[in-house]
Amino acid sequence: MVTGAARGIGRAIAEKMAATGPLTVIGVDLAPELALAEQLTPVQVDLTSSDGPGTVREAVEASGLPLIGLVNNAGITSDSRLVNMTDESFRSVLEVNLGAAYRLSTELALLMSDGGSIVNIASRAYLGNFGQYNYSMSKGGLVGLTRALALSLAPGVRVNAVAPGLISSEMSMGIPEEVRDKMVSSIPLERMGTPDEVANLVWFLLTPLSGYITGEVIVVGGGRSLS
Amino acid sequence: MIHWATEVSDDWGDVLAALTHAFEASRAAAQGAESIVYVVHNDDLLGRRGPGKAMLATGLLSAARTAALEGVKDGWTVNVVAFSEGADPETVADWADQLVASSDVTGELIRVGPDHIGRALP
Repeated sequence: MVTGAARGIGRAIAEKMAATGPLTVIGVDLAPELALAEQLTPVQVDLTSSDGPGTVREAVEASGLPLIGLVNNAGITSDSRLVNMTDESFRSVLEVNLGAAYRLSTELALLMSDGGSIVNIASRAYLGNFGQYNYSMSKGGLVGLTRALALSLAPGVRVNAVAPGLISSEMSMGIPEEVRDKMVSSIPLERMGTPDEVANLVWFLLTPLSGYITGEVIVVGGGRSLS
Repeated sequence: MIHWATEVSDDWGDVLAALTHAFEASRAAAQGAESIVYVVHNDDLLGRRGPGKAMLATGLLSAARTAALEGVKDGWTVNVVAFSEGADPETVADWADQLVASSDVTGELIRVGPDHIGRALP
């Protein structure tokens, strides 16, 4: 199960998992253009609605297959400095990035009685990022959620977080070019990351290859946290 | 402005209300160029008292780091104090007072008590 699966990092994760088989990947998004690979079942739902998580759970149960992995990837931004941030900008980002992930994890963890792995897509912004009080708080909260669930769902379900830095995606393309260039110049690997590079780590965390890893946050940021 | 994290339940509405309260108080403080300190429980940074409290504490820590960046130019600071179970409340309050009065220290996490030693860095 991958949320925010229509584009960017979410799409790369869904396609990576679908190509791995034999398994069925259920991709959740609001967008109608959700990728339709052979092993990818689309579900369109507003995860912030009261019945959103239940609808996703029904989709999993309808598949008749055991749920072995959940990737909470869906996320939005609405940037401004704290002094100018509106109530709506704050609330919408927290609801999508944190509330939906929490409610969906709680709902779907019940279906992982045979074990499983949850991966939360946080962001390097959890370490702080100018103009993103709401986004940074939501991703920091996701880190805390990861740790709490890692403790409460052990030993059956592992829970980890991936914190991407600047990744080439629709979200980062919304950043003005001169700002993006300045950001890239501060990255030791001198480039943006790709959605596939995030998907590779998520795939690893979903598989038994990472069977002794839980409660961790792994940054995919080209070394930006050091520069 | 010194903001003590409230004891929230695991209900998302409760968590969002607490985060929103912190946001509104912080925005008002920032608009007045007033320094900010969040006070949280150390166990919550590691998720040891449940998801609701964990989301609140770690959300505040990350928000503090971002707000700290924004305050640099205007001279206001943002820091976090995390206390261990059983820590002396007066000592915790003293640290919060000291940090909110400081113009040199920002974006920091100060721990009162030893519970964080040997555990993950938040």
